[in-house]
Amino acid sequence: MLIELKGVHKTYNNGQPLHVLKGIDLNIEKGEFVSIMGASGSGKSTLLNILGILDNYDEGTYHLAGTLIKDLSERQAADYRNRMIGFVFQSFNLISFKTAVENVELPLYYQGVSRKERHAKAMEYLEKLGLTDWSHHFPNEMSGGQKQRVAIARALITQPQIILADEPTGALDSKTSVEVMQLLKRLNQEDGITIIVVTHESGVANETDKIIHIKDGIIGEIEENTRHTAWDGPMMK
Amino acid sequence: MKRFFDTDTFREILDSLLRNKSRSLLTGFGVFWGVFMLMLLTGGGQGLKDMLVQEFEGFAQNTCIIATSATTKPYKGFEKGRVWDLNYADVDRLKSMVPELETVSPTVSLWGKSVTRDENTSSRAVVKGARADYARIETPKMMYGRYINDADNLQERKVCVIGKRVYEELFPEGGSPLGKRISIDGSYYTVIGVDWKDSGGISINGSASDAVTIPINQARRAYNLGNTVHLVCFTAKEGITMSDITPRVREIVARYHYIDPTDEQALFLLNTQLIFGIVDNLFRGVNFLIWLIGLGTLLAGVIGVSNIMMVSVKERTTEIGIRRAIGATPKQILGQIISESIVLTLVAGMSAIVFSVLILYGVELAMTEDGILKAAFQVPFGTAVLAALLLAVLGVAAGLMPASRAMQIKPVDAMRDE
Ligand SMILES: Nc1ncnc2c1ncn2[C@@H]1O[C@H](COP(=O)(O)OP(=O)(O)OP(=O)(O)O)[C@@H](O)[C@H]1O
Ligand SMILES: [Mg+2]
Repeated sequence: MLIELKGVHKTYNNGQPLHVLKGIDLNIEKGEFVSIMGASGSGKSTLLNILGILDNYDEGTYHLAGTLIKDLSERQAADYRNRMIGFVFQSFNLISFKTAVENVELPLYYQGVSRKERHAKAMEYLEKLGLTDWSHHFPNEMSGGQKQRVAIARALITQPQIILADEPTGALDSKTSVEVMQLLKRLNQEDGITIIVVTHESGVANETDKIIHIKDGIIGEIEENTRHTAWDGPMMK
Repeated sequence: MKRFFDTDTFREILDSLLRNKSRSLLTGFGVFWGVFMLMLLTGGGQGLKDMLVQEFEGFAQNTCIIATSATTKPYKGFEKGRVWDLNYADVDRLKSMVPELETVSPTVSLWGKSVTRDENTSSRAVVKGARADYARIETPKMMYGRYINDADNLQERKVCVIGKRVYEELFPEGGSPLGKRISIDGSYYTVIGVDWKDSGGISINGSASDAVTIPINQARRAYNLGNTVHLVCFTAKEGITMSDITPRVREIVARYHYIDPTDEQALFLLNTQLIFGIVDNLFRGVNFLIWLIGLGTLLAGVIGVSNIMMVSVKERTTEIGIRRAIGATPKQILGQIISESIVLTLVAGMSAIVFSVLILYGVELAMTEDGILKAAFQVPFGTAVLAALLLAVLGVAAGLMPASRAMQIKPVDAMRDE
């Protein structure tokens, strides 16, 4: 079991305490391609941040590849994030004053990989995602789809076991959304990377093999969707 | 684990500074200005001091000069307003009665004399009669020839040393005037030297450059001065504080001339050591002010850096959050912000040092005459080194607060504020 959550609770305490996650039990196997769906404010991003060790939880246990993820030091957390997990965000979160290739290189910089080596590797990943021509452009010179592919390249460069994507298609048009989902699917199938996508678009969720519904802070229905029949319309917003 | 300061880290820092130029410029300017002002002020103060010190150049620092004028107090039956003069006996008395004195040298001076070489070339000058030992009071800068010597005086030779301006007017063609003869009041004097000293503010009996110096005995004979001496200059032996012996000098001179010893106008003593002391104190004060102002400005600049970096850290929350999300440790973020601060302060400060040195160099060029530097306006090397060290320390200090703020930024913060 790659990801194992038992009775995870999370309360935000700025001002009015807000109990967001109320006992999450969730298992995700290595190599799965799942989506998390739910209404706005249901706690999808909160859950994903906990999975990505970007945030702490208050109660319960979270095991990542057999290790209990609790009260990690900042260094350990940073190290796990860097080596195990790749992040893809709705707003791309590229660093605006760095070119595409420099953005992709950055995780390796924090691993201490030499400049030459990480540059070569970043170019390799950009090529894989069809972005060779854009490698020296700044984010504001690229389209949303291109930016998201750069972000995916950055998530991939450390060869993580898991990719966590929070509404990766949220800022993209439907055609580009399809492309990005196809890309994630390919990464899942060809490289066996575990991929977890948060979305509120049924069309996007339908591309994944399993759909986890979250409601009022607990896991609701879990749909198996290996035949991609959860939603029969054309994939679009 | 990466080393803290390898070239890679450095490039990362440089990148984030260079690619946010306006932010960096704004941040660096405060420090630039602070250092610039500090350097310019210290350099300028140094130059001013140099200029002032040059006014006294060539004077023995422990010189005292006795001058006379009409009495202002009645004394021992004499009315006030009596005119009196020093004489040769005073010189001998002082020499024998005050063992602390090194040189005691009398001079006479005759103002507004016309000096001619031929019908076409003439000049106005002060004719000074002096002994060889006067050179120990006011050091001449001999351009040609030599100064008056004892033999000149004993034999009452008709020789003269001329000042720079007099030389330039009498010998406009340049070249050595030695052996040439000039005429003063109908007597001919052979030029034996040219004194190039361009005395500034302080001068005894007029500027050295306007003077024609002849042996004092010759002057006394030519102008029927008898035993009269106009000024007596003396220096104290090494280690003697001049103001300790001036009361005794005053006492001795006053007694033999029946002058009230408290009549400071009738018997005027000019103690250069006192003046040097005043100038020294003045510049100690000026220096203190310069450093106060300069350091204040510098401090304000550093606080500015800290402040703007603080704002920029807030602005960069997303960037820092992203860095954290993809694997940067808080320590690495801390290192980055502090390094940025150090690099900014150092670059801004160093360019300020270079810039101010260039400007001061320009001032020096403007002050240079005949290839001779009149005053050194440059920042002392030690000051520059001190400033550089100070900058590095201040750079760290300025970075501390923003860096600790940046460390507080959590990776989740990258995801907010969208
Ligand atoms: N840092 C925070 N401090 C306080 N409250 C927060 C914080 N982050 C999220 N919340 C609150 O927690 C609740 C769940 O937020 P979350 O972002 O997980 O929802 P979501 O399911 O991702 O919603 P959406 O689909 O709109 O992205 C919301 O009510 C939100 O306002
Ligand atoms: Mg969300």
